[in-house]
Amino acid sequence: MLDAILLFRDALYGALVIAVACSVLGVYVVLRRIVFVGAALAQLSSAGIALALWLGGQGLMLGLASHPIAFALLLTIAGVLFFGAGGGRGRVPPDATIGVTYAVAAAAGIILISKAKTGEAHDIFLQGNILGITATDTVTLIAVAVPVLLLHVIFYKEFLFVSFDRETARTLGYNVSFWNLLLYLTLGLVIAFAMQFAGVMLVFNFLVVPAVTGLLVSRGMAGAFFWSVFSAVLAAVVGFSISVPFDLPSGPAIIAVSGALALLAYGVRLAQRR
Amino acid sequence: MTELVRFDHATLGYGRRVILSDLTFDIPEGDFLGMVGPNGAGKTTILRAILGTLKPSAGTVTHADGMRFGYVPQRDQVDYNFPLTVTDVVMMGRYDRIGLGRRPGKGDRDLAHRALDHVGIADLAGQPLNALSGGQKQRTLIARALVGEPNVLILDEPTNGMDLVSTTQILGLVRELHERNGLTVLMVSHALNEVANYVERIALVVNGGFRIGAVDDIMTHSVLSEMYRIPVDVDSFNGHRIVVARREPQLPPRDNA
Repeated sequence: MLDAILLFRDALYGALVIAVACSVLGVYVVLRRIVFVGAALAQLSSAGIALALWLGGQGLMLGLASHPIAFALLLTIAGVLFFGAGGGRGRVPPDATIGVTYAVAAAAGIILISKAKTGEAHDIFLQGNILGITATDTVTLIAVAVPVLLLHVIFYKEFLFVSFDRETARTLGYNVSFWNLLLYLTLGLVIAFAMQFAGVMLVFNFLVVPAVTGLLVSRGMAGAFFWSVFSAVLAAVVGFSISVPFDLPSGPAIIAVSGALALLAYGVRLAQRR
Repeated sequence: MTELVRFDHATLGYGRRVILSDLTFDIPEGDFLGMVGPNGAGKTTILRAILGTLKPSAGTVTHADGMRFGYVPQRDQVDYNFPLTVTDVVMMGRYDRIGLGRRPGKGDRDLAHRALDHVGIADLAGQPLNALSGGQKQRTLIARALVGEPNVLILDEPTNGMDLVSTTQILGLVRELHERNGLTVLMVSHALNEVANYVERIALVVNGGFRIGAVDDIMTHSVLSEMYRIPVDVDSFNGHRIVVARREPQLPPRDNA
């Protein structure tokens, strides 16, 4: 069993980087009630990859098309700018705008990939291909995750303040739009890179479930971040370790463990109340 | 007396939509002003102009040099799902003074404790925010506004949704802060009866109109009736002012003959 896991250790390291980065940002995603913005951004990112593959298949934009991440980033950043600026406030409620983005991006991704000559099966977008992560991919993920996490450590109080009470932050001179946009940008960056390897489902899981676990267990922000990261890492290690020897799909196995940990946290919370 | 905020023929609105026009008044140091009016009348618009987050489309709104506002938002504007302690929230009032990317120090923590002591909830410092009562949450937000050492304390609907006891305690606390520390206070509310018995001046924002003056000058039958466009009586009971809108006269029975 250990041999099998060691064989895919690069994939495990990559999954751990994604788990840590997403579970830190996930605390804001859950607290700010933008869970489905995360899902919509992940779908936009997958649509970007599909677009790159389709263009490549058509012999168009061959240079850029060989780097699907460029298209994933492009569409995700467009989504970030849109949602970060309020998501088209007006007649359409924000959650409906998110729903429209999600549905259209998902459908566009599937249509494009079905017509792409070099395309992979569309379930790769949903499930990802975490076992395919190489050492180089892990380095790329680290190069994205470390600056993002550093930014969140350095500007913790700024992100916290504009997330908790934007009106008061504004009266104290904070440029709330800037900090919101920066938060969304870090989110978009991590999602765009993580999506390539982990797929929509696993990225969405890491953005939501560990943060819920952390917030159930902890009564403070530091604890929420700690338990969110801890449960994400634990889910990645355990899920991965189960999936390899038992020939289970890695992403869903990790998600199943994440879900079990969240249930456990819910039990702990109930016990604390008694 | 020093003017802290001055409106000079200011027109306020959003885009092309004008909410209030030609406002001229000032808030002097040591003022205890209540801004009263129904929802949607423009109180928040004036508040934003005072705070500097809304620029007038005509005229000017000027602030004294080095002005600092201590803003207490409406309680439902704050998200109580965040796992924050009372001290965490109060500390936010120091964030701009602490500076970008820096952490609060011992001096900030001492000031936070002093602010909590000031509003009478020092014993709740380590409690989670979401475990507090409505009155305790409001005191926490007032402590957060005070910890930044403001020139003007601004409270937006501080007693919204509170019972009689909590309302009296919060309004009493605000008056105490004004009288004991000479703090300039602006209280925004839709409840004329509550505010009129605590503040020294009233600004009425009703039906697109604006009137400001001493409580005795504003709380009269003629001014209130003219502003609200219905007959309004002002009476007193045990030294408290009471404002009552007259009942609509009953329609005479229809003559079927």
